[in-house]
Amino acid sequence: MLDDELHVHIREREGVAIIDLVGDVTTFAEEKINGAYNEVSRKGARNILLNFRQNDYINSAGIAILIGVVTEVNRNNQRLAVSGLSQHFQKIFRMVGLAQYIDIYQDEDEAIRGLTAAMA
Amino acid sequence: MANVSHDADHEERVVELHLPSRLGYEKVAMDAAASIARRMGFSTDRIEGLRTALAEAITNAIEHGNAHDAGTRVLVILTVRPSELVVSVADQGCKPIDQSQLAPAPRIEDSFARADKGGWGIWLIRELMDKVEFTTAPTGGNQVRMVIYLEKQP
Repeated sequence: MLDDELHVHIREREGVAIIDLVGDVTTFAEEKINGAYNEVSRKGARNILLNFRQNDYINSAGIAILIGVVTEVNRNNQRLAVSGLSQHFQKIFRMVGLAQYIDIYQDEDEAIRGLTAAMA
Repeated sequence: MANVSHDADHEERVVELHLPSRLGYEKVAMDAAASIARRMGFSTDRIEGLRTALAEAITNAIEHGNAHDAGTRVLVILTVRPSELVVSVADQGCKPIDQSQLAPAPRIEDSFARADKGGWGIWLIRELMDKVEFTTAPTGGNQVRMVIYLEKQP
């Protein structure tokens, strides 16, 4: 009941690998997020969007998972963006320093526009 | 699970939650604290900060203090005062708080090189709350006491 599953879904749009993250991003999310990242990377993704939905709970364990993804993205010369974060979590991402390494967009459409413009 | 008391003389309302030492139950306390803070008139931004800080304090208590021991509980006390909300989180202290975690802000650049990329919890609590104290609970465990002031709205 309370150790909610995070729902992760992978899709592609205009050359961007989108990982939809629906639910809580806590310690329970590690395997799913890393698995999704590894899967899109294996398929050669250069531009990756973490599309957050209904994430009213991201804690420091979730932040540590995302720092792990950023570490891999930097190592593999990929580009990482996020969309759909609430104002609060956008603030947390800036506080922690994640915003220096991840492009933050308000929604998916804006992110796709930004990432495809950077690809052109 | 909840116990509410009201001391009219001190204009103080107290809500106590006794949570199982199992990750996920922090969400019950986050919702309760947010509900109280909203009724007190805190802004959305401050309530979100409170939710995050409380989540970190409780997960620390579950993971470190109580070491996931199913026989232990985490005690959360929410004290409503006219100009502030005081939230204390106490564990049953199988393991004391790592004092090195109370040191200055972690740096993301350092995290990239470390296998363990965590260690942000206590820093977040300090950043988001107006006053934070780490003490020993009357029961002997760790206790974090956090305060947010009503007048300090962004």
